Amino acid sequence: MTRNVTAELLVLRKRAATWILLGIWTLLGIFFAYVVPYALDPEDATGGVAQFFPAALAGNLIAGFPFFGGVFALMLGVFALGSEYGWDTLKTLFTQGPGRLSVFAAKLMALGIVLVPFVGVLFVAGAVASYVIAQIEDAPVDWPSAWLLLRAMAAGWLILAVWAALGVLLGVVTRGTSLAIGVGMLYALVIEGLLSAFADSVSVLEPLTQVFLRANGYSIAAALGASVDSIESSGPGSYSGPLVDSVQALAVLAAFIVGLAGVSALVLRRRDVA
Amino acid sequence: MIVVTVTDHVIETRDLTKRYGDAVVAVDGLELRVQRGEVYGFLGPNGAGKTTTLRMLLGLVRPTSGHASVLGAAPGSSHALSRIGAMVEAPAFYPYLSGRDNLTVLARHGGVGEERIAIVLAAVGLSDRATDRIATYSMGMKQRLGVAAALLKDPELLILDEPTNGLDPAGMAEMREFIRSLAQGGRTVVLSSHLMGEIEQVSDRVGIIRAGSLVAEGTVEELRGRAGLRVRAEPLPEAARLVAALPGVEAVTSAGGLLDVTVDTARAPAINRVLVEAGVAVSELYLQKTSLEDVFLELTANGDQPR
Repeated sequence: MTRNVTAELLVLRKRAATWILLGIWTLLGIFFAYVVPYALDPEDATGGVAQFFPAALAGNLIAGFPFFGGVFALMLGVFALGSEYGWDTLKTLFTQGPGRLSVFAAKLMALGIVLVPFVGVLFVAGAVASYVIAQIEDAPVDWPSAWLLLRAMAAGWLILAVWAALGVLLGVVTRGTSLAIGVGMLYALVIEGLLSAFADSVSVLEPLTQVFLRANGYSIAAALGASVDSIESSGPGSYSGPLVDSVQALAVLAAFIVGLAGVSALVLRRRDVA
Repeated sequence: MIVVTVTDHVIETRDLTKRYGDAVVAVDGLELRVQRGEVYGFLGPNGAGKTTTLRMLLGLVRPTSGHASVLGAAPGSSHALSRIGAMVEAPAFYPYLSGRDNLTVLARHGGVGEERIAIVLAAVGLSDRATDRIATYSMGMKQRLGVAAALLKDPELLILDEPTNGLDPAGMAEMREFIRSLAQGGRTVVLSSHLMGEIEQVSDRVGIIRAGSLVAEGTVEELRGRAGLRVRAEPLPEAARLVAALPGVEAVTSAGGLLDVTVDTARAPAINRVLVEAGVAVSELYLQKTSLEDVFLELTANGDQPR
């Protein structure tokens, strides 16, 4: 299995789209978490200027994962599987002998590994940004505990992994990339976004929104220090619905990963490669 | 007492059928037997079911019914696939990776030592372009890389679907020679094509498929049938009567002012002598040999669409 994973890492590592997504995600992540709110009016930001200091690093960054980061992970997941149909490379891989599920497992593991720099690079860039702001404001540089940072990064990875798994499923089901990304965005923006917004006034929708990726992602983010005000005012990805217990959120996200990967594996195993 | 059944059939199918919905039968009760060590030409018009058959043999497509065995195992099983090299339809690679990197990906998935990569690249003449991205390759180069990928596992069975697609005439000739050389040392090659010349020059045995069913199978010579003689003579009825009476003549048919005589072609001088001595004017007497193309066209007429 190790060689299968290294094969898939080679495929992902040498693909320009991987690096482009990583670059855009990092740039926009820092831009919207630090540059824009600090440049506009730092005192007016939720939590004041202290929100941009190193001590608030974990909460400030993790708030961008449940929606914004999710969309990037979704695209990465779609590319990882959907492109194989476009290039017809799935037949080449499946005739090599390791078995369809082994190839799929290797792809998932490689995808999981590639998500690590998506978390790590953003946190490093965020640390630099918060340090610079602290220096500008002549504020003390107090870093959050390593344990909190580690938990925040692990939670960020988990949130991205769920969205990537959704992308994988959409790529497999639609056998391509365009429709998969379209449907994924539709789900993220319209289905989760609108239903979450309506849940405020339509009480019957509230239990439904609690199993959405966004609700559970933001619940974990809030537990790690993300301010609820910033979650409610983060543009198209904002969430004002009820937050759930963080343990429940972890369980729901883990169940999503298992479910999405399981359905993808089943479809991939049973369907003809024609 | 343990009874072990030894079969020399590398590929064996029984009543293999693939339907798409109710309307389309891509492969219809196919009975195929490929013997160990031979180059088996799988010939058929476009849409006859060749590629679907190969996909079923590789486990990419599930049969609707029937049975298939490849190297004694179920199609698509790891046991079978680890001993098969295949190129089905157009070769498919990651366009942003180099030829070498593409083969590295396949070698790692296939559990093959990466030292094989340089060997197969050299075998298909792509060593110089190994580090270039696939997107810069010509169709012929991609085709050759497809063959290199199929050879990566040093397979017992090689399945090549239209391997000369996109090659220029020199490249096609080179590829045919290469395929023949691959069959040395006991390797079995299944070569699917709609090009008669390719199949005729390379194959030990040929199977012709039409509308999903095997309509003929044998060596090229067997499929062509026995050679005969063609005679143009006057008066034709008298000539037919005289020739039919000769020993060794199996059949005489008359059409278009000519006689088609089914006979050992070594009897040509004797036939000529008898006709001339009987006062029949013989203007032409020549060897008549059916080409594989004639056989193919006759067998596949009106059958090139899947039902």
